[in-house]
Amino acid sequence: MSLWVDQFRPKTLDDLHYHESLSARLKSLAASGDFPHMLFYGPSGAGKKTRISCTLRQLFGTGVEKLKIDQRVFLSPSKRKLEVNIVQSNFHIEITPSEAGNFDRVVIQELLKEIAQTQQVDLNAKQRFKVVIINEADSLSRDAQAALRRTMEKYMSNMRIILCANSTSRLIAPIKSRCLLMRVAAPTSDEMHQVLAHIAKKKKFDLPPEIAQEIIDDSGGNLRKAILVFEALKMQSPDFSGSLTIAKPDWETYCHKVADLIIQEQSPARVMEVRAKFYELLSHCIPPTVILKTVAERVVDRVDEALKPDIMHWAAIYEVRMRQGNKKIYHLEAWVVKVMSIYKHFFYDIDMGAFD
Amino acid sequence: MATTESFTANGLLGSLLPASSKVLLPPTGGSEFASNGLLGGPSAMIDVSCGRKSPTLDIQTVSHGPGVDDMPVDDERDRLEGHDSSSSTNASDRFTTGGLPSESQDFPEVSELFRQHPSKKVPSVADSLHSDAHFHRTSSLRATTFDGKTIYMKRKTRIEGLRNTSGTSGHRMGNLLDIPIHRLMDELSAATAAKLAHPGPQPQPVTSTGASLPPTEDTLWVDRYRPHRFTELLGNDRVAREMIAWVKQWDFCVFGKKKGKKRPRDDDENYNPDDEYHRPREKLLLLSGPPGLGKTTMAHVIAQQAGYEVMEINASDARSAQVIDDRIRPALEAGSAVGSSKPVLVIIDEIDGATGGGDNSSGFVHRLVQLTYDKPKGRPGQKRDQKDKRPLLRPIICICNDQNAHSLSKLRQYARQIRFTRPADIHIVKRLKEVCEKEGLKADSRALSTLVGVARGDLRGCLNALQFIKARSGEVTETIMRAATAGMKEADSSTISVLNNMFAPMTRKRVKELGMGEEEESKYVGRLSREIESLNNPSTIAAGCFAHYPNLRQHDATFSRYEKANEWLTTFDSFSATMYSDGDFGLHAYLSYLVVPFYPLFQERGGQRIERDQADWENFQLTKTNEEIYKSLSHGLRHASSRLSGAYRHLVGSQILTLEFAPYINRIISPPLRPVNSQVVRPEERELLSQLVNIMVALELRFVQEKAEDGQLIYRLDPPIDVFVTYDGKRASDIAISRYAVRHLVAAEIDAATIARQADVVEKNQGGKLDMFSKTSKMSAKYDSATKTKPGNSSEPASKRPRKDPTDIADKPPVDFFGRLITVPSASSTKAAARKNVEKKYRVTYRYTEGTSAAVRKPVKVGAFM
Repeated sequence: MSLWVDQFRPKTLDDLHYHESLSARLKSLAASGDFPHMLFYGPSGAGKKTRISCTLRQLFGTGVEKLKIDQRVFLSPSKRKLEVNIVQSNFHIEITPSEAGNFDRVVIQELLKEIAQTQQVDLNAKQRFKVVIINEADSLSRDAQAALRRTMEKYMSNMRIILCANSTSRLIAPIKSRCLLMRVAAPTSDEMHQVLAHIAKKKKFDLPPEIAQEIIDDSGGNLRKAILVFEALKMQSPDFSGSLTIAKPDWETYCHKVADLIIQEQSPARVMEVRAKFYELLSHCIPPTVILKTVAERVVDRVDEALKPDIMHWAAIYEVRMRQGNKKIYHLEAWVVKVMSIYKHFFYDIDMGAFD
Repeated sequence: MATTESFTANGLLGSLLPASSKVLLPPTGGSEFASNGLLGGPSAMIDVSCGRKSPTLDIQTVSHGPGVDDMPVDDERDRLEGHDSSSSTNASDRFTTGGLPSESQDFPEVSELFRQHPSKKVPSVADSLHSDAHFHRTSSLRATTFDGKTIYMKRKTRIEGLRNTSGTSGHRMGNLLDIPIHRLMDELSAATAAKLAHPGPQPQPVTSTGASLPPTEDTLWVDRYRPHRFTELLGNDRVAREMIAWVKQWDFCVFGKKKGKKRPRDDDENYNPDDEYHRPREKLLLLSGPPGLGKTTMAHVIAQQAGYEVMEINASDARSAQVIDDRIRPALEAGSAVGSSKPVLVIIDEIDGATGGGDNSSGFVHRLVQLTYDKPKGRPGQKRDQKDKRPLLRPIICICNDQNAHSLSKLRQYARQIRFTRPADIHIVKRLKEVCEKEGLKADSRALSTLVGVARGDLRGCLNALQFIKARSGEVTETIMRAATAGMKEADSSTISVLNNMFAPMTRKRVKELGMGEEEESKYVGRLSREIESLNNPSTIAAGCFAHYPNLRQHDATFSRYEKANEWLTTFDSFSATMYSDGDFGLHAYLSYLVVPFYPLFQERGGQRIERDQADWENFQLTKTNEEIYKSLSHGLRHASSRLSGAYRHLVGSQILTLEFAPYINRIISPPLRPVNSQVVRPEERELLSQLVNIMVALELRFVQEKAEDGQLIYRLDPPIDVFVTYDGKRASDIAISRYAVRHLVAAEIDAATIARQADVVEKNQGGKLDMFSKTSKMSAKYDSATKTKPGNSSEPASKRPRKDPTDIADKPPVDFFGRLITVPSASSTKAAARKNVEKKYRVTYRYTEGTSAAVRKPVKVGAFM
């Protein structure tokens, strides 16, 4: 038994609820027999992976839904073992090279070559090529992307690659130029309404529109999140009675608390308090960049108009440094101190020029 | 007469013979003498131990006691080295004069004798001669005094006892502590007085060991003036006493001596009544302190004092777990070293350099700790296995510099820790002065105290420096001293001390000690960066600075200093990250400079002392634990997706898992269920329950019954994914706390469903193999139907996937199954089994996996291999 997210995931391009033009285009591409490499990009929860699997189904038929999931072990140059999970059917293979961390290059090189060098064996297959899906392509290292370039051209006859990424900015230009770019935009709130209503209908209950609206407002265009929230809500209060609160993820609530702490008081003791909270968040494996972003957005929401650009400016700067550095907590705290300082200066109307 | 006989037996004492036969002595004096080990300091110990070997030496032992007349009291060594004849003549002289004040009944303490009537000690001499002679022949002896009384001499038997290591040397030791310090002091002062009265050729008796040796320049002063006796130890009395007290706690175990009359001491909380060997609770002693204070020397002296043979393992030996098994254990089990009658005591020097402090179970420290809690296994009746571990029956002393060293973390909880501190400067100066005088080096106190200051109490360093100066000139002045000690300034440093220096200016005293001027003092960059560099781990310093700076009291209204400090820290992090990721270790040289600016920003006199900050480390540990939980959760997701044709696989992505899935799955699995009997659950609730159970089973989440600390039974979620909604130890408020009864209900359902699922797996495998033989088109058709199956339409006759069954049945009214869910899986599995038997009985399948990629895998019939 699966969650609603999976239970009501459309299986074919025809079932898709929104972006009809995109679906039509994918359909004609699949029918043409001249299928290119593709790059699906768009925000999280917009339906990229759903569209990819629908496209595959269109290409190969239901055979792609017979999946096998296993682990492959690769050896890094330093003889370390890297375990990568592989999802595959007879016609395609799905990998997430970022699981191998810095050694994603090894995975790309070995696995892709291995697949690319053999032809499709199944005589009944509709297409002569196999498909490789690379998830989280935007976290591929430069080396891995470079390793991908040549393979994409050389083995075109045997293999197509579908990349899936949140944004194209971290992909190198040669890769982008070899792919057909497919942007999957986040659904509008009407489209999301439609999807939620569809689920409610299938589940045979009535969804009050105001609740649906609340869920959608909260999800920020992330349909997966919306459906998860929806199911959680249904699970927690099966008849939608009483006062319903849309559950925010706990880390987000916690980040907001941190932001409030920063604004309330600016003192060394508060710096220590905030630090403890950051440690708590980091130990829950929340990515530090997400922490910084969430806290910064909340802080910006609650301060004077004049301070907003400055705070965001420093958040951006410290995020870059954080990505380069090792000790995330230094950068988080440095930003907090900066914000406190800016806020204090503004509040007491002290000339800041002297301190720069 | 017995005595006469005994003397003849002991042929060495010819000259004494007439005297002793003339004067028959009560032997008790002798016995007192021995038992009272501290008489004249440890010398007695040494002497007695010598005495056991040959009676001749024993004479010397005794003779030092009365040596008031013409021998310097302290120079026992001299006597030991062959004043045989003189001592014997002395003794014989005194036999005639001394009389016999302590006759049979009245056995005075020898120490008293020493103080009050020095002249009366003669009897003891003769006595010991006398008894020695007996000892030579027989272990328990009888003597007759000149008035015809028969006396049994206990002392001899004790000495005999010592020989087989379970003797009574412990008793002697026990008495050692019984002598109050003032009495010892009295003795010492008496000795000094005697020395003053008879200024001998060598007027500096404190370092008496060196006195006897001709001052050859090929020995280091450090060795020459090393203390050999307990009383010569310099510095902290408390430490020394604490240590010997610990060693004494082993007496019962090692020497078989009863605690007996001893009053219960305050420090006996370490005494472990459960231990059948009466060993102290902490079986290791960890001695720590900066170098050069004499830790090793003290351990040796005390071990010797307590009657042990020392076995030392130090950094020059290989130190692996192997060594413990190969060397230490045999030594400990044998009880005594080869060729020695004394029990062995192991000193492990410089243990902080040993391996295996961490998790490494093959390490030295780990093995050592194991050694302490090895229990004897075999019962008396049983035959003991050769491999059986025997308990630790001998004391082990570990010595280290840094008590907090990482490698010792395991050891610390099992060891009694004694911290060695620097003795007062004045004592060191005094000792140094004595040495200088003896070596003919002119030194004024001022110069010496400068030296001690620069060396921070490192006595060894001081002695070396003095010897070095001596090699050049015969005079020590402050200027020479400054020149000579230029290199000693940054002798030792630890993370904590460097951090303290970072946040506090140098003390006035230290500045003076180093003889720096105003200008030099204000220069900090070179000094601090050198210190940081010498630690060779700038990132720990950075972490320490990061942890500490907000604790400082200094007011910083504008946060400008905080900003600057953080700027430096982030720069430091960028540098070190670049260094490690690009392997560009040229940057290492700059790292220490990036931390130094904390000094001008935050230095503060008398600020809070820096403590080791654990926050970062704890965070690291916690993160690792949580990562493991995520791993097991994503493992569960993958399993689920392989069973449910890829249903959950899109949720495995790292960010989705942590940011979206983890918070919401916790809400999804905590519906508001009432804790009622499963038979009376309402239909809506039943539906909810079955949904919950299905999800939890799919994700391999379980409720595990456990006992809480207070003995209450609780159900714990496993894997504990509820930590992801628990921040600051509090659950999210919108998640209902599931009660025990509810969890109990759910757990039972989950167990039932799991059994059903296992049946499914069998069935599904069967189905999977079936597919191998069917045509692709058929297969896809079947999958089509299977995937179209929704839990809503339960009437799907063609479905060969009994996986659906639990859901479907759960949706039906409970009457069908009499409300017993447990019957459901069994029903479905038997049904499945029945179907299996009917349809696929004749099929023999062989699964041949060729290669790993789907591209080259194809179904092959068994016939192909035949």
